Amino acid sequence: MEKSGSVDSLGSRRSSSRQPSVDSLSSTATSRSDRSAQAKPPSAMSADSVSTSAEFSPELRVKPKAPAKQVLRESDKEEPQLLPNETVQDMAQDVTYFCPFTGALRGTVMVTNYRLFFKCMDREPAFVLDLSLGVVSRVEKIGSASSRGDVSYGLVCKDMRNLRFAHKQMEDTLRKSIFEVLIKFAFPVSNGLQIFAFEYGQVFPENGWKVYDAVSEYKRQGIPNESWRITKINDHYELCDTYPSTLAVPVNIPDEELKRLAAFRAKGRIPVLSWIHPESQATVTRCSQPMVGINGKRSKEDEKYLQAIMDANAQSHKLFIFDARPSVNAVANKMKGGGYESEDAYQNAELVFLDIHNIHVMRESLRKLKDVVYPNIEDSHWLSNLESTHWLEHIKLILAGALRIADKVESGKTSVVVHCSDGWDRTAQLTSLAMLMLDSYYRTIRGFEVLLEKEWLSFGHRFQLRIGHGDKNHTDADRSPVFIQFIDCVWQLTRQFPAAFEFNEYFLVTILDHLYSCLFGTFLCNSEQQRHKEEIPKRTVSLWSYINSQLEEFTNPLYVNYSNHVLFPVVSLRHLELWVGYYIRWNPRMRPQEPLHQRYKELLAKRAELQKRVDELQREVTNRSASSSSERAGSPTRSITPVQTFV
Amino acid sequence: MDRFEMGPRSKTYKKVPDLCMVQDADWQRYKMGHHCEGRTETMFSVKPIKPTFKCYLPPLQTDVKKTIEPPIKKLEPKLLPGEIVVNEVNFVRKCISAESSQEDLWGKLICTNFKVSFILQDAPPKQKSHLSHLLLGEHDIPLTCLEQVVTVNDTRGKKKVLGSNQKLKFNPTELILYCKDLRILRFCFDEAGPESAKKVCLAIAHYSHPADLHLLFGFEYQGRRYHESKEARVNGSTPRGGLRTPIFDRPSDWDREIKRTSASGWRVCSVNESFDISKSLPEYIVVPVSLADQDLKRYSIFFTDQRLPLWCWNHPNGSALVRMASISDPVQQRKIEQRVFTAITKSHPQRSDVFKSDLDKCLPNIQDIQSSFVKVRHICVIDPFEESEERWLSSIETSRWLEHVRAFLKHSAEIVYCLDGKNASVILQEEEDRDLNCVVSSLVQLMLDPQYRSLTGFQSLVQKEWVMAGHRFLDRCNHLKKNDKEESPLFMLFLDCVWQMMNQYPAAFEFTETYLTVLSDSMWIPLFSTFLFNSPKQRAQHLIDFAKNKAIPAGEDQAVYFPPVWDWSQQFSTKDQTLFNNPMYVGKGAACVQNGEVKTFTRTKRNYSSSVRATPSSLRNGLKGGEETLTRRGSLLSELKPDFSPVKVESPSERFFRDLFSQPADQRGLLIPLLMPSHVALWKLYFLRWVPEACIPKGGPITAFHKLSQLVDEIEILQSQLRQYKGPSPGSTPLPSPGGPPVNQRRMYFKASPQNDPPTPPDFLTSSFPFTPMGNLCRRSIHGTPISKFLNGARIWLSTETLANDTV
Repeated sequence: MEKSGSVDSLGSRRSSSRQPSVDSLSSTATSRSDRSAQAKPPSAMSADSVSTSAEFSPELRVKPKAPAKQVLRESDKEEPQLLPNETVQDMAQDVTYFCPFTGALRGTVMVTNYRLFFKCMDREPAFVLDLSLGVVSRVEKIGSASSRGDVSYGLVCKDMRNLRFAHKQMEDTLRKSIFEVLIKFAFPVSNGLQIFAFEYGQVFPENGWKVYDAVSEYKRQGIPNESWRITKINDHYELCDTYPSTLAVPVNIPDEELKRLAAFRAKGRIPVLSWIHPESQATVTRCSQPMVGINGKRSKEDEKYLQAIMDANAQSHKLFIFDARPSVNAVANKMKGGGYESEDAYQNAELVFLDIHNIHVMRESLRKLKDVVYPNIEDSHWLSNLESTHWLEHIKLILAGALRIADKVESGKTSVVVHCSDGWDRTAQLTSLAMLMLDSYYRTIRGFEVLLEKEWLSFGHRFQLRIGHGDKNHTDADRSPVFIQFIDCVWQLTRQFPAAFEFNEYFLVTILDHLYSCLFGTFLCNSEQQRHKEEIPKRTVSLWSYINSQLEEFTNPLYVNYSNHVLFPVVSLRHLELWVGYYIRWNPRMRPQEPLHQRYKELLAKRAELQKRVDELQREVTNRSASSSSERAGSPTRSITPVQTFV
Repeated sequence: MDRFEMGPRSKTYKKVPDLCMVQDADWQRYKMGHHCEGRTETMFSVKPIKPTFKCYLPPLQTDVKKTIEPPIKKLEPKLLPGEIVVNEVNFVRKCISAESSQEDLWGKLICTNFKVSFILQDAPPKQKSHLSHLLLGEHDIPLTCLEQVVTVNDTRGKKKVLGSNQKLKFNPTELILYCKDLRILRFCFDEAGPESAKKVCLAIAHYSHPADLHLLFGFEYQGRRYHESKEARVNGSTPRGGLRTPIFDRPSDWDREIKRTSASGWRVCSVNESFDISKSLPEYIVVPVSLADQDLKRYSIFFTDQRLPLWCWNHPNGSALVRMASISDPVQQRKIEQRVFTAITKSHPQRSDVFKSDLDKCLPNIQDIQSSFVKVRHICVIDPFEESEERWLSSIETSRWLEHVRAFLKHSAEIVYCLDGKNASVILQEEEDRDLNCVVSSLVQLMLDPQYRSLTGFQSLVQKEWVMAGHRFLDRCNHLKKNDKEESPLFMLFLDCVWQMMNQYPAAFEFTETYLTVLSDSMWIPLFSTFLFNSPKQRAQHLIDFAKNKAIPAGEDQAVYFPPVWDWSQQFSTKDQTLFNNPMYVGKGAACVQNGEVKTFTRTKRNYSSSVRATPSSLRNGLKGGEETLTRRGSLLSELKPDFSPVKVESPSERFFRDLFSQPADQRGLLIPLLMPSHVALWKLYFLRWVPEACIPKGGPITAFHKLSQLVDEIEILQSQLRQYKGPSPGSTPLPSPGGPPVNQRRMYFKASPQNDPPTPPDFLTSSFPFTPMGNLCRRSIHGTPISKFLNGARIWLSTETLANDTV
């Protein structure tokens, strides 16, 4: 198996497989697809191929297909294979890494413009730590020189890890320490450098920038139709600079009115279509809070507009407005000019608060979670410690909100309007989760990419601010794990409906790892406008290029594309679980659970082999019976159907 | 009271006054339709006719019936051989939802000497259980499954828990049955005759508290069944009634086990034949070859209940797992223990050390386990769903159930480390050697020996380490409801531990969690010899008496006349039994472990005892220095802290486990569960299967199982086709039938579907499958659709953050 014998190294586990390297990725991808086109070779069933594919790491791996032992041996003598345009910036010997699980390790550190690479040769097999600098949130020098003359550095990572290193005090005090070099490249934005994504020039067989096209996605939904039209009013981001250029709005509201409308919605984020039910025509629309203010201002245009949204759905004479916030927060927003729709002003509309907390509460909750899960989990009070982080409770409220939206649209055939304050955090979570429950297209790999491109990226979730790519200001109050929460919610759905999603857990973890890695351009910038201005699609590689070039890695073999399958998850702490495969993956005491889908793949291969043998025998028998006359009046040429029905 | 004649000792049933006197009065009401409330009282004041045995015979043919067409069809219970109706009441409403009575079911509530039965007035509802029990209807509960019988009078605000032979001063409007399989059933009597309702309630309470073991229905049923099915048996007589699971009541079963594990230093000993030495040990036990029968006899008197040390299993490296009771005499203790140790060492090919683990000192006791089970059950099924949601995790923690599960798994893993990592024999010691030892010895063997992860192997393990080792099933299950203090769900705890392993290694076991759940439910059906007795001796004696009383020929096999639970065809059809088969295991073709020898593990051996790897002290100083400088500076800055907790020094066993976890699991070899608290989960199918709010529609792990099962079925069809091609006479190879193997030989519950059919969502699949929550958990709380609970406003805790923060 891969990494047999990698007793205690996190790093060497990771050096084994799956992700692309400079020269082998494209060939890997093609060879994979070749393989899947034919019947699988028998070797696919041997124990060797049972890779622990639930094991995740953010780093691009060296030699995806090489067997583990070889990789380990290579890592013993070689440095990591660098990515295109990745250059070594500094190296240092005699650095100590304090592994919280196995103790102190002495080795060498290499820093490039993309990664930190630590290697300890004292261990058998060698211990390797390989992380992209993008995950580093903060580097801190700890204490002054100790009696032994060590200088210690702590690295706080965005992916639930803290790493600590120490090295001897420099004799040459003028020379920069390797960690000072690291700080420079970990925070390129703060140091006037370019984010690595702009340098990485890997060419993939697939072009991920072509995955999403707003017009074709609306077309897939049946838009334009008699009630909804596509407007180009925001083509130059003049109506709203955080919205996409393509918007879908009710037919009977002309562009001129949209402009007036924009003044009444925070940041000009007017209600626009996210999704329409193919049968009932009930819609999910999203926007920001109305600028009601302390005096309860009204807007005739806004009221008329929401009425138009309601009228576009003949099935219901009601409109539900879901305000993601707790009602107290919504009230408090009035002080700052915002607020919520009063039911007096909006006839036939019902306002519901979904009690989801703001980005600061979420950040604090994840911080507490990290305290509880890293590095070690306390033997006692695990569940109450977990409860005290409120993380799962937040997940529950978000999913509960999305479920209510999906239920209104599917069961109630009623259109809904969703907003929070600005409509780019909680609103994105809610609309995208509701769409995931309602529309099985978004549960395919491509569909999910489209969903992210649409509801998150094009509608201006502020990834740059929330993640802080390359920015050293780790205390920035704008940082928040809103997107991580969303992916966590998706994972919860995959747990409850293991056959309803085309993608696997590894797909979700990969997305989160590259949310931070700064290797791909996908999650850079805060809005479509910014991405357009920075020419991100031209200058960087899309994460979807990488993923779509090796789909098999990310495919859930248990997936069944049931038609009209709306997911109604049970949103209860009885079923919500901590995502151990993500949050606790660094702990070597946690072996990923025996992956079900791996077993499934083996069984598929077995079936293919058997089918082949049956077909061969079938041909043989047919030939023989054809030559030896036709005693049997039956139909010997009838091919054997591989599968039969039994009740 | 000869109408209660059930067996030779039926007199021990206390007399219940007038249990069936209302029959005829009820019938009057029946004839007139049930809208005669005003006159009911006079009806009931009519002096009842003296009851006869006849009134219990089902088709009661009277003239009255012929002349008057009853308004509804006659509702007849399905009775087993030897089963009689004790009492019944009509026009009962079975509550399905507490919110509205719309879905409620109308029918007749019947108490027999075996079960509480509810017979529907109308056609059964759409939703049906997918696992149909051959002996019990969908709405039946065996009396032994009743935990508590509660009667309520809503109008008078009264409530009473009924025991045996009790009086009830009010007419119940409701009956609530709390079941040991965690169901809660509610029946309303608003349209039923109050007197008959009361009598049925009293009968249920009375008959669920049998005064003696003999009165359990199995002793009636198995006798009748034996004679009724005699003819069928004569033709196709197979040894042990075709049972493949060894029972370990014969030396040959032990011999085979010794051979299988190459335990050459051990022998089968018959010193306890006829239970001459110990009442709770089996007749045949396995002991070190160096100990003579005379020695054993001498030593036995020092052990609690004369329980000599019992061999359980041998590791391929020669280490043995032994279980033993404590030695009562402190003066002799050292001496005797020394002799036992020496003998065990001699039986080890490398004369390796012996470790003793005193389980009483390091594991929760049976009362701890019972009280935590009561708590976790309360949280899962009794507490109102939405109210318990907020503090769900901490309540589960407070129950300590998962903590206990983890403690047993962890301790068992430590024992595995001794046997496998340290190459040492282990003695499990417990005061009586009949409770904790059963759990730990069987878990250790499951972790080490893949044979026990097959279905037959698992059953033989339960037979060996629980049934024959003298686990007090009768007391621990509290079947006679005599002594609550002795009740403890140890076997259930064991099943939960097995589930945890299964949850972590889904391909390692031949059986499924449905099997484990059904096995746990079978404990509450008093028809199988497995769970009815406290010791092998008690079993032997009762079964001999039983055979005499029922005129069963001498020399007949116990497994035939009073079968154990392992004969699953008693309870389920062949098709339903396929729900026990794990497609991932079956598809792998894991047959090679069946009856095979214990495989030597491929894992590379290391010496762990000296591998405590301390961090150099200088570095640890550095760590401490780091800690000091890191004071918390506000929430955003405190992130670094956890990293600077000193690196934990691993114990050798921790190192052993971490080593193991860094390698891919070998499903056929050593299987150690992950022991972090984050990896021990609540067994949802068992604890939540009846909870309607927790039921995921068209979801749950079963949807993956469904897909896997279909694929494996395809594989089996192909394999069968191949076999047919390669049939015995290649000259005239017949075309294989495209149907593959006959349906009754297929091992998968879900059959392959035609490729061209568009997949439709499997409506019948829910997270409770193959069980259904419908009507099985009726709490007096607000129920509703999965959505409605949110509409009532999810409660939120008050945020610690200031609202002013909500700028985004």
